[in-house]
Amino acid sequence: MNYLYDDTFEGFLTCVWHHWRTGKADGIFSNNGAYQLDLLHYAQTVETDGRKAEAVAEAIMRKISRWDAERIYRVFLTDEPEKEMKLLSYIRLGFKEGPKIRLLHGHPVVAPVQKAEYRFGAEVHRLCGLVRFSELDGGTLFARIEPDNDVLAHLAPHFADRFKSEPFLIHDARRGKALFAYERRWEVAPFDEGAYLRFSGGEAQIRQLWKEYHAVMATKERLNPKLQRQFMPARYHKYLTEMQP
Amino acid sequence: MEGVLFEKLSVLGEGAKYDVSCSSSGADRSNIGRLGNAACAGICHSWTADGRCVSLLKVLLSNDCAYDCKFCVNRRSADVKRCTFEPRELADLTMEFYRRNYIEGLFLSSAVVGSPDRTVELMYACLWILREVYGFCGYIHAKVIPGVSPELLTQIGLVSDRLSVNMEFPSEESLSRLAPQKKPRSIFSPMRQITQTQMEQKTLKATGNMARLRPAGLDCGAGDGCLADAREAVGEDGDPVGPRAAASGGGLRAGPGEGAGQGAAIVRDRRRRAYRERFAPAGQTTQMIVGASPETDLEIVTLSEALYRRYSMKRVYFSAYIPVAEGPELPSLLTPPPLRREHRLYQADWLMRFYGFRADEILTADHPNLDVDLDPKVVWALRNLDLFPVEVNRASEEELLRIPGVGNTSVYRILRQRRIAPVGYDDLKKMGVVLKRARFFLTANGKYYGDGAWDPCSLREKLSPVSPQISLFEAATGELSVR
Repeated sequence: MNYLYDDTFEGFLTCVWHHWRTGKADGIFSNNGAYQLDLLHYAQTVETDGRKAEAVAEAIMRKISRWDAERIYRVFLTDEPEKEMKLLSYIRLGFKEGPKIRLLHGHPVVAPVQKAEYRFGAEVHRLCGLVRFSELDGGTLFARIEPDNDVLAHLAPHFADRFKSEPFLIHDARRGKALFAYERRWEVAPFDEGAYLRFSGGEAQIRQLWKEYHAVMATKERLNPKLQRQFMPARYHKYLTEMQP
Repeated sequence: MEGVLFEKLSVLGEGAKYDVSCSSSGADRSNIGRLGNAACAGICHSWTADGRCVSLLKVLLSNDCAYDCKFCVNRRSADVKRCTFEPRELADLTMEFYRRNYIEGLFLSSAVVGSPDRTVELMYACLWILREVYGFCGYIHAKVIPGVSPELLTQIGLVSDRLSVNMEFPSEESLSRLAPQKKPRSIFSPMRQITQTQMEQKTLKATGNMARLRPAGLDCGAGDGCLADAREAVGEDGDPVGPRAAASGGGLRAGPGEGAGQGAAIVRDRRRRAYRERFAPAGQTTQMIVGASPETDLEIVTLSEALYRRYSMKRVYFSAYIPVAEGPELPSLLTPPPLRREHRLYQADWLMRFYGFRADEILTADHPNLDVDLDPKVVWALRNLDLFPVEVNRASEEELLRIPGVGNTSVYRILRQRRIAPVGYDDLKKMGVVLKRARFFLTANGKYYGDGAWDPCSLREKLSPVSPQISLFEAATGELSVR
């Protein structure tokens, strides 16, 4: 049976619940319209149920570990293809192996999950450096990103601490939501920037100074744009001040 | 006015870019001031067109130098535009860049303005404004000017995360030939003071894995190894100026005039003061130029090993010499920078810090230079084929680390999985082992996966990365082998 869910983590956990209680899952898909009818399997839309999701989450923490529950959540936030089935296999193996599942680095079920988690962590770390704020009229800091994975909530602790005296927001343009933070409190909420963003008067000059500085720092005897792209892939350039013409 | 700032930033950034260190690692603290924190692993914020990272705003406070070092862009006799930042101007710029997340902090260096002490006073003024007036809590790396007085060094260490004193050249002769105004003593004495102060405040740590993976047969004191060396090193010629004495003698504590009223309030606040009382929590580094003087790689690697073991340096950086000046003692202006050699030196450096290698294992008197075509770990393995192949399910951590293509992460994973399940050949690939190299040097569950050849020559051929056409081309164009 193919299960369709509403793209939330609770929805996914509900599917995991149905895998055991209703019938074996052959596929778990998001019902955002991308699902293509499959002649071999009957598709059923799963209604997200907080209690069922909680029961599964609780079982994961009890039978595997808290650490693995967090790993499963992080992998759920990635754009890994077929992440739902990979996670279901991970949970099934975890119920069998218990907490020592995390030691099986080379296992065909564990390795892809481990890799996806690594990619997620790497993007969070990379974005800690690559987010570029601009000062809006009034002093609020605004940044826009289009990350591969849904990293906003994982960026929050770092930036909320670093800019604790500044109100700021980071807009995930791909997912239409934003991180709002001030004085170490933060929240992720749906956001549509509209046309009302106005930059402060000094913004243009600081950007110019940064671009100038960035250009000067390249040593012309050692130019290596391929290496530059390796660290700073082209898909991030769109919102990087220094890469704008 | 704005035009002036543009000019200063580009001239003083230009002057600072030959300092290679840009790491923002080693300090871990949350935001106890008003703006900023420091992440232990360091964060890179951008990469320039040469592929090197921009983590800190790396600038000179001034390029108006009193010295005439022959290799340097800012030497007295060079015809370059001279300018100097006002301390507050640079502090403002740092804050604006930091707020926009362009940078992780400030890397402040300077040419010698008048005298070393005068220069460090100016640098301190800027850092003091950042820390005390603006409550800046991000990363600061300050370059120590050789010859600075111990009192000033203490002061600047208390507002910085990391300090560095440049070796400039890997030997005394080259230093006195090419930078006659810098004396070896004026370089080593601040290094020693930094190590000593860290020891007193009990923050001195061994470099990388050097304490844990202590190679056999290296006798340098009993007990805690590297730290014993450091103690010995800093004690040996009895530098009388301890940091404690210096702190009480330093008249600068009250801060330079500007903004003192506002800053004093923060200094009095004990909680906020806690982190400032720590002297250079991220340790010290140094840098030397490679390719401008005749030293062999063996000398360079041995010297860096000594620096790691005796001073517990965090890093020793190598900088491929880029000809910026002409002179009878220097390579010609047409010499391309020895990038490949620099790369191999860094690989050797990693082997020492994270893989438990000794300098005299990597290079010997018969082979005093690193192989440009193969990485030093492979070269070592080919010289010591009798130690291979290694069975991944039985070997110790030290032995696993010495297999070419196996790194620290893979070793960690192998050791963990081994506790509950055997490690097969397919597992190795998933663990991140580079089988292209490693398969010749290991067995998994008793099976060997290399293809036949078991003598240094044919293995070397299989492991050489370049196809014949390219090596012909490289041979024809000499050093122009930019990757």
